[in-house]
Amino acid sequence: MFDLLEKCLETSVASQADVIQLRGQERTVTICSVRNGTVEEFSSITLKGVGIRVFVDGKSWGFSSTNRLDKESLKGTFTDAVKLARATSALKKARISLPPVKASTANVVVPVKKPLKDFSSEDVVRIASDAYKGTKATGPTIASAELTFVGLEDDKYFLGNEGIRVSEHATRVLLIAMVMARSEGTIAPASENLGHTGGLELFDKTPPETFGRTVAEKAMSLLKAKKPPSGRFRVVIHPTLCATLLHEAIGHPLEADIAMAGGGFDDQISRLVSSKLITIYDDGCVPGGLGYFPFDDEGVECKHTVLLENGVLKSFMHDRTSAALASATPTGNAHAWDYSAEPLIRQTNIGIEAGDFALEEMIEDVKEGLFLEGTFGGQADANGDFTFGFRSARWIHHGELGEELRGANVAGNAIEVFKTIDAVGKEATLRPGACGKGQWAIQGRVVPPLRCEIMVGGVSE
Amino acid sequence: MHEDSDWSTLSSLVNAAMERIKREHVSHAEAFYTSTRSIEVSIRNSEIFAEDKVTDAGVGFRVIVDKDKVGFASTNMLNERAILEAGKKAMSIAKASPRMPNFALPDAKPRLRLNGLFDPEVAEMTVEEAVEVAERTVSAAESLDNRVTAKDGRVSYVAGWRGVKNTLGVECEEQETRSYIFLWGNGRKNGEVTSGCSEFEFGRGARLHPEAVGENMARRVISLFEAGPVEGFEGPVIFGPEAVSYQLFDVLVGALISSNVISGRSVWNMETGSKVASDKLTVIDNAVLKDGFASRSFDDEGFPSQVTVLVDHGRLESFLHHAATAKELKTKNTGNASRYPRSSDMVRMITGIGYRTKPEVYPSNLVIKQGDKSQEKLVSEMETGVLVEAMAGFAQQGSGLISAQLSRGFWVQHGEIQHAIKSGMVLGIAFDWLKQISAVGSDSKQFANSVVPSLKVENVKVVCA
Repeated sequence: MFDLLEKCLETSVASQADVIQLRGQERTVTICSVRNGTVEEFSSITLKGVGIRVFVDGKSWGFSSTNRLDKESLKGTFTDAVKLARATSALKKARISLPPVKASTANVVVPVKKPLKDFSSEDVVRIASDAYKGTKATGPTIASAELTFVGLEDDKYFLGNEGIRVSEHATRVLLIAMVMARSEGTIAPASENLGHTGGLELFDKTPPETFGRTVAEKAMSLLKAKKPPSGRFRVVIHPTLCATLLHEAIGHPLEADIAMAGGGFDDQISRLVSSKLITIYDDGCVPGGLGYFPFDDEGVECKHTVLLENGVLKSFMHDRTSAALASATPTGNAHAWDYSAEPLIRQTNIGIEAGDFALEEMIEDVKEGLFLEGTFGGQADANGDFTFGFRSARWIHHGELGEELRGANVAGNAIEVFKTIDAVGKEATLRPGACGKGQWAIQGRVVPPLRCEIMVGGVSE
Repeated sequence: MHEDSDWSTLSSLVNAAMERIKREHVSHAEAFYTSTRSIEVSIRNSEIFAEDKVTDAGVGFRVIVDKDKVGFASTNMLNERAILEAGKKAMSIAKASPRMPNFALPDAKPRLRLNGLFDPEVAEMTVEEAVEVAERTVSAAESLDNRVTAKDGRVSYVAGWRGVKNTLGVECEEQETRSYIFLWGNGRKNGEVTSGCSEFEFGRGARLHPEAVGENMARRVISLFEAGPVEGFEGPVIFGPEAVSYQLFDVLVGALISSNVISGRSVWNMETGSKVASDKLTVIDNAVLKDGFASRSFDDEGFPSQVTVLVDHGRLESFLHHAATAKELKTKNTGNASRYPRSSDMVRMITGIGYRTKPEVYPSNLVIKQGDKSQEKLVSEMETGVLVEAMAGFAQQGSGLISAQLSRGFWVQHGEIQHAIKSGMVLGIAFDWLKQISAVGSDSKQFANSVVPSLKVENVKVVCA
C-alpha cells in the first residue's frame, strides 16, 4: 500500500498542496449473528481504499476517497481533493497556521494472543451460539435473544508530505447481546457489549455462555420490576451507565469542534467547570481499549491528554485545525471510521480518574435516591444538554438498595450535573463504546461509579 | 459525475462471477452491487468547513448451499479475482453455517420502471455549485437574525447505480440520484445558548431550497429565546413532523417489521385486523411515491416496489416483509428488503450499508396519511397543552418507552403558543400514544424513510426540572 501512496506524492498534483495526508486501508470484518437459535447472519466484508486530504492556500482542506486503486484513479482522486479545497479557499475568512507535526516512522502492531486467523468459521459460529445458549439457559421468558460476534482487522497506512510514515495493524473483537424477556404483555429489554482491541483472548475471562446468561438474567429480573419515577433525584451511577454519561454529557462538549460551535465549555479554559472531585482524560494508548490508536488519522501521536483536572478545564480534544485556531497543541484526536471518511475530532479512550469511595459507601450516604445501571445509548447537544437511557434502576432508601425498577431516560445539562458530583468510586472499569457523530467510531471508556443529582424521566403512575 | 462505462464493467464482472458460482453446485446465489459518487460540502461555525468527494462501488453475494445454508460476503475490490473470491467466501461461509429452513430469495416478477428516480443535473453537479448552495443556506439563516449561528450542516448530492441478480431469474438495475440539505444551529441571547435546532430537505433532483432551509432553522432558534419552565402537565400534546419522524417512527417501525414479529421483539405479535391505534391513524408503505426519497423500482432483493397498507384507521393490516419473512409467516412479500436501514445498531454501523450488508426488513417511504387541519389550526383548538416540535432521546425498542428531553417544546394556552419550554421531558409508552391520537395534521413532511404529519395525542405526561 505504501508503494501506491508514494506514487501519489510523486505526481505533479502534489506540488499544488501545502499539506498532504494520504491514508490507505485494508479492512476485513467478520460478523456472526445468532438470533433465537438460528444463524441469522454470517458475513465477511473486505474493503480496500485510499482517502486523500489536502490543505491549500493556508486556508482550506479538501478530501476525496476511492476504492479504485489504479494509477489513473488515484491521480484523479488526488486532483479532486485539490479542486475541492480550492473551491472554498477564497471564501475562508482567515489563514490557518497549522501546528507542525513531529516527523516519524512507525510500524505499530497491536499484540494479539489469539489471532482471528487461527480460528475456523465453525469456531466463530460457536462463540455466538454459546452466548445464545447462555441466554436460553435462564428460562422460557426469554422471548428473543440476538448474540453477535464481530471481528475487525485493520491495516492502516498513513503517508504525509511532512515526514510521517506510519502503519498500524490492529484486531478488535466484540460480542454484542440484545435480549428481550416477555411475560403477559410485558416486554423487558436488556443489552450489553463486550469488546477490546485484541484477539479472541477476550473470552478467556468472560466465556460467551456466561456473558449471554448474565444479560438474560437481567432482562428476566426486569419483567417483575416496577416503572421508574420521574423527577430530580440524587443518584449513584454504575460504570455501565457512567460510560455513557462521560461520553455524551461531558466528552462531546470537550471535543474542540463542538466547543467552538458554542458548546458549554467554550472560553472556560482554566476555570472550575465541574466538581473538584473530577479529573477527566483522553488516552489513545490504554491497552485493550477499543479506542487504542497510537497515532491519529493526521499522523499525530495520541497522548494522555488531561481535559479536566480537579474540576478545572485544562484542554480540549484537538485535531490540527482546531489546535491552530485555539493556539493549542494537537492531541491526536483526529479519527476517521475508514479510508472513505475525512477525520473528525473524536474521543479515543476517555476516562475519569478513580476517587476514594467504595460503591457501598456511595450508596450508604443517600437518604432517598436511585442506583442507575446499564445503558441504552444517548445524545448530547452542543450547549451541554444531554439525554440518555439507563437499562434498570434500584431505589435507595436510607442508604440501602431497595426494589428493582425498569429503565427510562435521564436528562440534564452536563455542566450543571457535573457540578453536583459529590463522590467518585475507587474502581475504574474499561468499557467498550461507540459513537455516531457524523460517522461511526469505536471507542473505550474508563469509568468509576459516580454520585450526582440528575433528572429522571420515568413513567410510573 | 458518474461514468456509465464503470457501471457496465462492474455489471459484467458480477455476471461473470455469478456464472462461475453457479457451476459450483450451489442451491442459489444472489449478487447486490452498487456504484456511487457523492459530493458533500460540510458547514461548521458559519463557514464551509470541508468538501468531500467519495467514489465507492462494490458487490455483496449471498450464496445458498444444501438448500438452506446461507453465507454472505462482500468486497469493494473491483477486479475479476477479488469479486470471485468474495462469491467463493460467501459459499464457504454457507457451508459452515447451520440451516435456515425458512430462507428464500424472490422469484423473477414482471419489471416495474419508476420515473423520477434519476436527475442528470445531480450527476453533473460540481463542487462549486454545491458550495454555493451551502453558502446560500448559511446566509439565509444568519441574515434573518444575527443572534443565530449556523453551527453544523451538510449539502450532499449522490448519483449512482444499484443492481440485483439472482439465480431465480431476478435481474434488475437502476440509476438513482439523491440530494440533501441539513442545517443545524443555535442562538445566543443574554449569554444563554439555546438548544440546537435543525432543518432538512430531502430530494431526488438538483433543485433544492437552501433559503427555505436556512430561514426555517433560524426561525426555530428564535422561537427558543424566551424559554421558561412549566409545572408538571398531563394532557394533549401535538407532536410535529420532526418529532414523529424520529422517536415515534422508530417505535412504529420496530413493531411493523416482520423479523421482529418472528423473533418476539414486536409488541404487535397479534393477528392482522387487530386494533392497535386510534381510528385517526392510517399508515402506508409507499415505495412508488412520487419524489419519495426512498422510492425505487425494486427492493434490495430485486422484488418490485408496491404500496402496502400497514395500519388502516387503527387496524393492523400488514407487516413489512422481505422474501424470507414472508415465507416464514406464510404471507406475501411486500418488497421491503433494504440494505440501507436507518439504525444506531452497533453491528450495522460497523459493517456499513449497501453492498456491504445483507438485506433487512425496513420501510421504503412510511407514510402516515395526513388529516385536514394545519398544525396552526390544531394549536388554536387546544385550550391547554404542549407542542413538541423536536425531542432528544432514543425510544426503547420493543417496550415503546419514550422519555425524551424537549429540545423544541412549547407551552400552549387558550389556543396560542405562550413560550418555549426549558428543561422539560415528555414521558410515556408510544404504543399507548398511538391509541390516544385525537387528530392528524395536514402538514406532512418528507424525511429519509417517512412522510409524516403532526399528531395530536391526548393524556401525555410532561415533566420539568
